[in-house]
Amino acid sequence: MTAIGRNEVLHVARLAALEVPDAELPQLVEQMQRIVAMVDQLAEVEVAGAPPFLAGPAKAELRADVLAPEPLAKPPATFAPGFAGGFFAVPRHAAMEEE
Amino acid sequence: MIPHDIARGTGSRLRDAESQGLNATLAWSQLQLDAEAARVAEMQATAPLYGMPVAVKDNMVTTDLPTTCGSRILEGYLSPFESTATERLRAAGALIACKTNLDEFAMGSSTENSAFGRVKNPIDFDRVPGGSSGGSAALVAAGVVPAALGSETGGSVRQPASFCGVVGVKPTYGRVSRYGLVAFGSSLDCISVFGRTVADAAKVLGSISGHDPRDATSAPRAPLSGAVPHLDDLKGLRIGLPREYFPADLDAGVRAALDRTAATLQAHGAELCEVSLPHTKYAVPTYYIIAPAEAASNLARYDGVRYGLRKLEHGEGVGALYQQTRGAGFGPEVRRRILIGTYVLSAGYYDAYYRKAQAVRALLAADFRNAFAGGVDLLLTPTTPSPAFKAGEKADDPVAMYYSDIFVCGISLAGLPALSVPVGRSEGLPVGAQLIAPEFEEDRMLAVAQVLERALDGAAEVR
Repeated sequence: MTAIGRNEVLHVARLAALEVPDAELPQLVEQMQRIVAMVDQLAEVEVAGAPPFLAGPAKAELRADVLAPEPLAKPPATFAPGFAGGFFAVPRHAAMEEE
Repeated sequence: MIPHDIARGTGSRLRDAESQGLNATLAWSQLQLDAEAARVAEMQATAPLYGMPVAVKDNMVTTDLPTTCGSRILEGYLSPFESTATERLRAAGALIACKTNLDEFAMGSSTENSAFGRVKNPIDFDRVPGGSSGGSAALVAAGVVPAALGSETGGSVRQPASFCGVVGVKPTYGRVSRYGLVAFGSSLDCISVFGRTVADAAKVLGSISGHDPRDATSAPRAPLSGAVPHLDDLKGLRIGLPREYFPADLDAGVRAALDRTAATLQAHGAELCEVSLPHTKYAVPTYYIIAPAEAASNLARYDGVRYGLRKLEHGEGVGALYQQTRGAGFGPEVRRRILIGTYVLSAGYYDAYYRKAQAVRALLAADFRNAFAGGVDLLLTPTTPSPAFKAGEKADDPVAMYYSDIFVCGISLAGLPALSVPVGRSEGLPVGAQLIAPEFEEDRMLAVAQVLERALDGAAEVR
């Protein structure tokens, strides 16, 4: 149905926020091409009139819409890579520092 | 036996398995096992799983043992909450024996994709135990524990059960709460059970099943009893053999074991008939659109911000943080699936791939529905096209690896219950037969599996 090459793989990697090492790229492109060729088989299936499919119970029982913190065995500061002043901390962007 | 002695015996067997190089365990300690024993000793001895050591696949969160999902991105992560399945195991009197090795984030069919090394098949160390729940399967097969929890997205318990010669039961989607199961493919994920016997697996499944308000996809149904209904014979039972699951190139040993299984069912009074599931050949391509699409969304949470690995060695800002953390933290198969999932969901491809796959999934589910509506009570198939393959044999060929799940992933797409029971060995390697039931009819397939278990020597050579 479609050809997937190096540029497409790099584009998708950017969308997925995933750094792909250059050394792995040729094999990754080749494997992605084979996987896409495999899933392309679905083009031949006639699906007109297929009934809708829904996984799980037809009607989900919802909990009461009450705001309550999830009881945790330990606070986020103990497992977060960066935590300060009650917030998860991320690296500051230089452009933001200048504003 | 008293819980303390059980904990000591389990620890001793875990140490033996480790020293033999099975590589099936991730986190465990004798200290933690002793604490489990002390907790269980305070309970009534009538608790359904009293004193049973149960191993748990390392993608179910526990507050006393780390949960890594076999990934560097979660190395050392200790969850601040407990999964419903393990909470219910403990409440039923089980001892959590250990966390078990798995394909990273449950993505794989050989347990070669773990960041912590491959798991070996206890029957033959040169072969894979199947996957992704290979560590759990291997520990049950090696006699370290009588039962273990695994998880299925597309056959990750039935396939390793078949490769290792143990019982593997996948319940109906929604039968067991997924609260605390690390999400992979949310419309497919299903906590499932390994047992040394059908009775052990049923007992554990009974204890973890039932509605849970913390999982909106959990079915509002009473738990399974945990007992296997006893059948003296199989008179009046009609079992369908789907012709698409018995292709001409089916491994000769698998065919011989299935012939023997079918003959045993007939000898016990069951009526066998051929049926057709015409969309079977599309199960693997459908699965490899839907599961990666859901994985790409579910694994977006691993970004180095709230928990797990953080890496930022070049560049600046959160974009660079996300890319480098995820690039360094995920292994090759997980990266591949995230990329495929992102691709099939991306602009211009969504209709051709994801929407199409959802429609084909409906046709696959309708195939099963039509077979059961046609008067068949259960379906019988091989669990896998061949016995366990050699380690490394399919490692560089993801498509060949994906097709090792051809007989199991269609059932997952349809959300049905199914199990694998050992029915013989081919050149020393276990072969499993798969029984598939209509939704929420787990008891029916468990009862027939137990008839097979009693009538057949699952370790007997069939070729």
